[in-house]
Amino acid sequence: MSRNVSFALTVGICMLLPFMVPQYSLTVLIEALIFGLFAMSLDLLVGYCRLYSFGHAAAYGLGAYSAALILTRLLLPLPIGIVLAVLVTTLVAIPIAWICTRSTGVSFAMLTLAFAQLGYAMLFRFRDITGGSDGIVGIPRPPGPLGMTWFQGKTGYYYLVLGCLIGSYLLCRAIVRSPFGAVLAGIRENEAKTIALGYNTRAYKIATVVLAHGFGALAGALYAAFAGFASPELFFWLVSGRVLIMVVVGGAGTLIGPILGGVFFVFLEHELSEITDLWPLIFGSVFMTFVMFAPQGIWGILTRRSNPGAELPGAGNETSDAAA
Amino acid sequence: MTARHTVTRRRMVKGLVGASALTAAPAFLRHASAAAPIKIGIPTVITGGYALLGSQVIRTCKLVKKMTDAKGGVLGQPVEFFYQDTQGDPATCVRKCQELVERDNCRILSGVIVSSEAAAMLPKLEEWNAIFISHGNGDGRLTAELLVPRFFRANTSAPMGARALALYLKDAPEKKFIAMASDAAWGRSSNAAFEEQIKKVGKDLVDKMYAPVANKDYSPYITRILQSGAQGCYVALQGDEARAFYSQATQYGLAQRVQFFTEIVAQADIKVLGKDAIGLMGSSRYPLTYDIPQNNAFREAFMSEYKNEIPDWSDGEMYQALMILFAAIEKAGSPEPTKIAAAMEDLDVTSVKGPVLMRKCDHQGENQGFVVKVARNEKYAEPVAEIVKIYPREMNTPDCRSSSFSK
Amino acid sequence: MSLGFILAQCLGALSQAAVLFFIACGLTLIFGIMRIINFAHGAIFMLGAYVGFTIVAVTGSFLLSLLLAPIVVGGLGMAFERVFLRHLYGRRDGGAYLLLTFGLAVVLSEVIRVIWGAQPRASGIPDFLRGIVVIVEQPFPLYRLFLIAAGLAAALAVWQFLERTRAGLLIRAVSQNAEMVHALGTDVALVRTAVFGLGCAMAALGGVLAAPLVTAFLGMGTTVVIDAFVIVIIGGMGSFLGSLIGSVLVGFVQVLGAYYFQDLALAFMYFLMLIVLVIRPGGLLGRED
Repeated sequence: MSRNVSFALTVGICMLLPFMVPQYSLTVLIEALIFGLFAMSLDLLVGYCRLYSFGHAAAYGLGAYSAALILTRLLLPLPIGIVLAVLVTTLVAIPIAWICTRSTGVSFAMLTLAFAQLGYAMLFRFRDITGGSDGIVGIPRPPGPLGMTWFQGKTGYYYLVLGCLIGSYLLCRAIVRSPFGAVLAGIRENEAKTIALGYNTRAYKIATVVLAHGFGALAGALYAAFAGFASPELFFWLVSGRVLIMVVVGGAGTLIGPILGGVFFVFLEHELSEITDLWPLIFGSVFMTFVMFAPQGIWGILTRRSNPGAELPGAGNETSDAAA
Repeated sequence: MTARHTVTRRRMVKGLVGASALTAAPAFLRHASAAAPIKIGIPTVITGGYALLGSQVIRTCKLVKKMTDAKGGVLGQPVEFFYQDTQGDPATCVRKCQELVERDNCRILSGVIVSSEAAAMLPKLEEWNAIFISHGNGDGRLTAELLVPRFFRANTSAPMGARALALYLKDAPEKKFIAMASDAAWGRSSNAAFEEQIKKVGKDLVDKMYAPVANKDYSPYITRILQSGAQGCYVALQGDEARAFYSQATQYGLAQRVQFFTEIVAQADIKVLGKDAIGLMGSSRYPLTYDIPQNNAFREAFMSEYKNEIPDWSDGEMYQALMILFAAIEKAGSPEPTKIAAAMEDLDVTSVKGPVLMRKCDHQGENQGFVVKVARNEKYAEPVAEIVKIYPREMNTPDCRSSSFSK
Repeated sequence: MSLGFILAQCLGALSQAAVLFFIACGLTLIFGIMRIINFAHGAIFMLGAYVGFTIVAVTGSFLLSLLLAPIVVGGLGMAFERVFLRHLYGRRDGGAYLLLTFGLAVVLSEVIRVIWGAQPRASGIPDFLRGIVVIVEQPFPLYRLFLIAAGLAAALAVWQFLERTRAGLLIRAVSQNAEMVHALGTDVALVRTAVFGLGCAMAALGGVLAAPLVTAFLGMGTTVVIDAFVIVIIGGMGSFLGSLIGSVLVGFVQVLGAYYFQDLALAFMYFLMLIVLVIRPGGLLGRED
C-alpha cells in the first residue's frame, strides 16, 4: 500500500474513533494524541539534529501556563488563546535557544535541563501569578471567534487536537523535506563539513530549537485547556525524561515514530496501572527491552528499518548527501 | 548479528507491540458494571512519594467495607470502593477520576492525597456529576476561593490546625515564635494562618520560613531557628520532609533549646523517630487516645484487623469522612450525588473526633481542635500523641469561606 | 551575624557537599570512562540507603553497613553493566544509554518498594556519633562533622587511587583513549565494569551516610540525581577534581541560598550551572565534548 493511501486511511480511522470508543477512552485518547504531538516536537531536535534536550518540559509547561493565563485572565476565544500561547513560548524560546546552542552534546542537554528546572523554580517564586504548587485551575474554553463552540465538548476537542496533530505533522514533514531540512541532515551527519560548505549551522540549530518549542507549546496549550489546569509538575524533569523516551522508543528521526511512541506509552501506562501495582516495574522493563532489542523503535519495526536515525529528507530511502 | 538473529528479535518485539495493543483493547471493550452497589472512587497515591498515605487510605476503606458489609450495607446496598493510582500527579488524578466516573460510574470521590490534585478536580465535579468529600486535603482555599458546591471537607484544614495551637500557645510560657513550612499550597496556608492567630493572642512571630518541596538538607533553616532566639517553632511539614527535619533538628540538639509545635502529628513519623519524637507537641488531625465510644470502637476494630498497627491521622480522618458520607446517604435516602450533597449540608454527626457539623455556608466540617504531646504509653508499642487540650468546634473553625478567625 | 553562626553555616554547607560528593564522584567516573549519563544513579543512592538499613537491622553495626552496602551495590552495578550496558557500546546514538539507565531507575525504585515497602526506614545514628559539638557557642552535630571527614577521606582515597595506583592509571588512560589502551593489551571491558561498579559503590556509600539525615524513603533519589548532574556539569564531566569542587560550590550555593534568598533557593543552583556553562561550556575543569 502506498504511503499516502495508508496515511489517509489512518486519518480516516482516527476521525471515526469518537464514535467507536466509549467516552472515558476518549479522554485517554486525547491525552495520548497531545503527548504524541509533544514527542514529535522533540523529534525535530533529537532525530533530525541529534540534539538531545533534557528540558523539553519547558516548552510544554510554558505553553500550558501561557494558555492558562491568557484564557483565565483575558478570556479570549480558545483558538486565539492557544495561538497566542504558542507565539509567546516561541518568543521566549529564542534567547533560550541562543544560549543553549552555544554548546553541543551533554552540555547542550544540561543547559536545556537548567532552563526547565529554572522555570519550575520560578513558578514557586511568582506564586501570585502562577498559583504556586497548586498551579492555575479552572481554565475555561471560551467560545469564538465568530461564536464557534464545537471545541467545548469532549468530542469536539478531540477533533481540535487531531487537527492540530495532523497539521503539525504535515508542517514538520514539509520542513524536514525542504532545503532547510537538508541542512539539518548535514548538521546531523557531519557538522564540520556543513560549516565548511558555508552554512551558519548555529542559526539553523537555533531555528530548530525554537520550532521544537513552538510545537511543544502547542501540545502544552492544548493540554491545559483540556485538563482545565496547569501545574508545576508539567515542568519537572521527569516529564522531559519521559518525552525523550517516547521519541527514542517510537523511533527518532521519523516524526511518525515519536507520535506512535507517545500514544503507545500513554495507553501502556494507563492500562498497566489499572491492572497492577507493579506497573512501573513492567513499564521500566519495557523501556529496557526496546533499548536492547529494538533500537530502531516502534516505527522502525513496523517499517522494517534497521538503521536508527537514518531517515533523511525526501520520501523513501534514498540517501542524499547534505545539500552538496 | 546474523539475519536470522534479527528476524527472531523482530518477531519478539512485534509480539510485544501487539500484546501492548491488546492490553489497550480491553479499555474499549469494558462496559459499566451494574448500578446496585454504592460506588466510591478512591483516586489515591499508590506509587510515588506519598504512597504511605495512600496505603493508609486504602486500608481504612477496606476495613470500612468489611464493617458495612457485616451490617448489611448502607440503605441496604453494599458499598464498593474503586482504587486508582494517581501517583500524586494532578494530571494523572484528573484522568483517573474521569475514568472512575465514566467507566465505573462512581459518583462519589474521596481519598485524594495532594492538595493540588484536589484543586484540579474541583472545577470538574459539575461536569462529572459527582461529589468529592475530602479526608485530608488541608489547603484553606479549597473551602474559600476555590469552593464549588459539590466539594465537602470533612477533615481539619491547615488553618484549623494552626488555630488550635495558637489558642493553646496563648497561655504558654513561650513568647517568641518562628514558623517553618513546606513551600506547597497547604504549607503556605498553614503558616499564614498561624501568623495571623499567634499575633492575635499577643505573641511575637519573628520569622516565617519556607523550604522547597522535597527539600533534604534543613541545616540552613535549623541555623536560622537557632539564631532567631525564638522559644517556640511552628512546623508545617509532612511525611519525608518532616522526618528529615526532625532527624536533623535532633542532631543539632534543637529540641532542648526550642519547643516544637507541629501542624500535623503523624504516627508514621513517631514510629520512625522513636524516642526522638517524645516531647513533640502539635495539633492532631486524629486524636488516637480520644476516649469516646465511636473512637474506641474504631480503634479496636482497626487494631484487631491490622495486627496492632496504630491508626494514623489519615486512617482516622478517612474513617470520619466515610461515616459522614454514609450518614448523609441515609438521611438523603438515595446515593444520588445532588441528594447526598443536599443532605450533607448542616449535617451533625458524632464520629471518631467527636461532634462534627458540616457547615452549609462553605462545606467545611466543624471539627474540634486537639492539641497533643508525644509521650510513652504502656498500652502501645510506640510512643503516641496524647491529648493535652481540646477546643470546641465553633472556636476551632474559621469564618465562612475564609482562612481567618474573627472570634 | 556572629562568627559562630557563619561557621555553623559553612560547616553545614560542607556536610551537604560531602554527601553530594559521593554521588557526583561516582557519576563523573562513570561518565569519564563510558560516556554514559547514568540516570539510575539516584536510585542506586537510594538502594545503598536501604541496604545499609537492612545491614544495620541484621548486624547492629553502622560501620559494617558502611563497608558492606557499597560492596553489595557495587557488585550489583557490575552485574548490570555486564548483562545490559555492555551490549550497547557499539551503538551510534546516545539515546540507548538514556533509555536503559532511565528504565533501570524506574525498575530499581519499584523493586525497592516491593522489598522494603512504602514505610520509610531509619536506623538512626550510631550512639558513638550522636553527640553535639559546640563551636564558638553554636551547637553542631557530631554526625555532620563525621560526614565532612568521611567525604574528605573518600576524596583523598579516590585521588590517590587514580594518581598513584596502576589501576587508577588504567582508568585515566581508558577515559582518554580507550582504543590505544586496548591496543596495548589491557582488557578495557574489565576496566569499564570495574569503574561502573566503583561509581555505584560510591553512590551507595553516599546513601548509607545520608540515611541518618533524611531516613531511607522512596523518592530520595529523584532530586539528588539532578543535583549530581549539575555538580558534574559545573565541575566538568569526567573530572574527579571537578566533581569535588562542584560539590563544594553547590553545597554552599544550596545552603546559603536557602538561608539568604528563600524564594529563589531552588533556582540558585541552576543559575550557577547556567553561568558556568555559558562561560566555560565544558565545565570548570572539563574538556569540551
